Amino acid sequence: MNSRRQFIKNSARAALVAGAVPSLISWAFPQKPVVEVPGEDGMILRSFRFIDLETPVEYFNTWLTPTGHFFVRNHMYEPVELDRGSWRLSIGGEVEKPLTLSWAELSRIESHSVVNTLECAGNGRSLQRPQVPGIQWGKGAVSTARFSGPRLRELLQRAGVKSTGKHVMFRGLDEVPGKVPPFIRSIPIEKALDSDTLVAVQMNGAPLTKHHGFPARALVPGWIGAASCKWLTEIKVLDAEFVGNFMSPAYRFPNQPGKPGDAVKPEDTHPLTALSVKSVIAGPSNDATLKNGRVAVHGAAWAGEADIVKVEISTDGGATWSPARLGRDQSHYAWRLWSYDWKPGKPGDYIVQSRATDNQGRTQPVAPIWNPSGYLYNAIDQVNVHVA
Amino acid sequence: MLHKLLGVPPVLALLLATTGLQGQKAVSANVTADLPAGPMQAKATTTCLECHEARIILQQRLSKGAWTKEVDKMAKWGAVVDPADRDALIDYLSTNFSPDQPQYEPQRTSEKSGKSK
Repeated sequence: MNSRRQFIKNSARAALVAGAVPSLISWAFPQKPVVEVPGEDGMILRSFRFIDLETPVEYFNTWLTPTGHFFVRNHMYEPVELDRGSWRLSIGGEVEKPLTLSWAELSRIESHSVVNTLECAGNGRSLQRPQVPGIQWGKGAVSTARFSGPRLRELLQRAGVKSTGKHVMFRGLDEVPGKVPPFIRSIPIEKALDSDTLVAVQMNGAPLTKHHGFPARALVPGWIGAASCKWLTEIKVLDAEFVGNFMSPAYRFPNQPGKPGDAVKPEDTHPLTALSVKSVIAGPSNDATLKNGRVAVHGAAWAGEADIVKVEISTDGGATWSPARLGRDQSHYAWRLWSYDWKPGKPGDYIVQSRATDNQGRTQPVAPIWNPSGYLYNAIDQVNVHVA
Repeated sequence: MLHKLLGVPPVLALLLATTGLQGQKAVSANVTADLPAGPMQAKATTTCLECHEARIILQQRLSKGAWTKEVDKMAKWGAVVDPADRDALIDYLSTNFSPDQPQYEPQRTSEKSGKSK
């Protein structure tokens, strides 16, 4: 073989012959690898066998995230066989009248819609120091969609929750390898009975895709993504919180912030519920070189069950802050897009930061609360740019 | 021979013969990256990649203490770790995937427009 160039030329020819251009080009150009995942568009690949896809922050420019850009988090393998004909949803446990619903029966129940920003509890994990194990999400395990389906409350009322019913457990059809504990969690009955908690069957007006839980998923708005169980097949009312790996030790947060790297005793933790206040800069990109003039700094901000009241921008390393303009589109559990018209004035290197505040008085901190699993990272966001 | 017909190097011809020409599923399966060379490469492959791909390991940057906890957790969850290999496996992981290693660069899925970023 004479040279790398010849090799690349041959590879490209082979790729065209094979009709598998993206995969083979990615093989020949290891610096720009690309993988085919049908239905997914330019996503950051964190895991393939159980699909974990991160949304690149530059996609945070539409209030509703197109499904092909919506982050995917699977703990286990997706169910191999799924069809609405044989699918059933059971509602049991601490109820007067256990039910089993077919797809046709579920479809006859009145549908309700909620625009919700869904964020993985581990979003931003890779930014924690010291580093912690888990999927090494950057900033993009978060997206927003309009979810539609029957209210969970309606199903629970049909089954008749007993006075002993305190928590509601969800079980999905995902397939568990080895002796890994199944991905089962529960939410308190109050949140389950909230009028915005759904058994969602649609996302942005279309049936759920397989990666997002077809044919039905829980949608627990404002809460960590793990609460919104996909491929839902069983709802069980319990007299206490579900006992299992994904309630403890997983998905728990320290009661008191400790020093980064310190161990946290299980009894000093609580289950994660609602999301933190947070903003992310979608543009300009980190390490971008910009022409001097007007620069549109823009991004998204969200606060779980709370509402964003302001996003501020600093271009001087946090010494001074100016308000960004909040986008018009809003809904209680959805992010707000924001933008800031920046005129750098003179060339040089700049640190651009964003800081969100919500109506509960929470503001993004300078440093995240470190915890052993890297949950709820929400430090002030930052990009470094060069103005030429 | 496929590589002579297509004018491509033998290794690529083999790739085409075994993956590319068989459609989406095979092409996708081929993207799973391998674990780095080392005395425990083969055993780590058997032990860890039964349930998940190498990519899950490649993206971690952990201290030896954290790797020890991970290996023991995975053994509890069904990974077959010979007690005689446990320490060597932890050494292999914590040497190759320590916090001072360069940052992991993830792959992207293809874009619908066909261009890659």
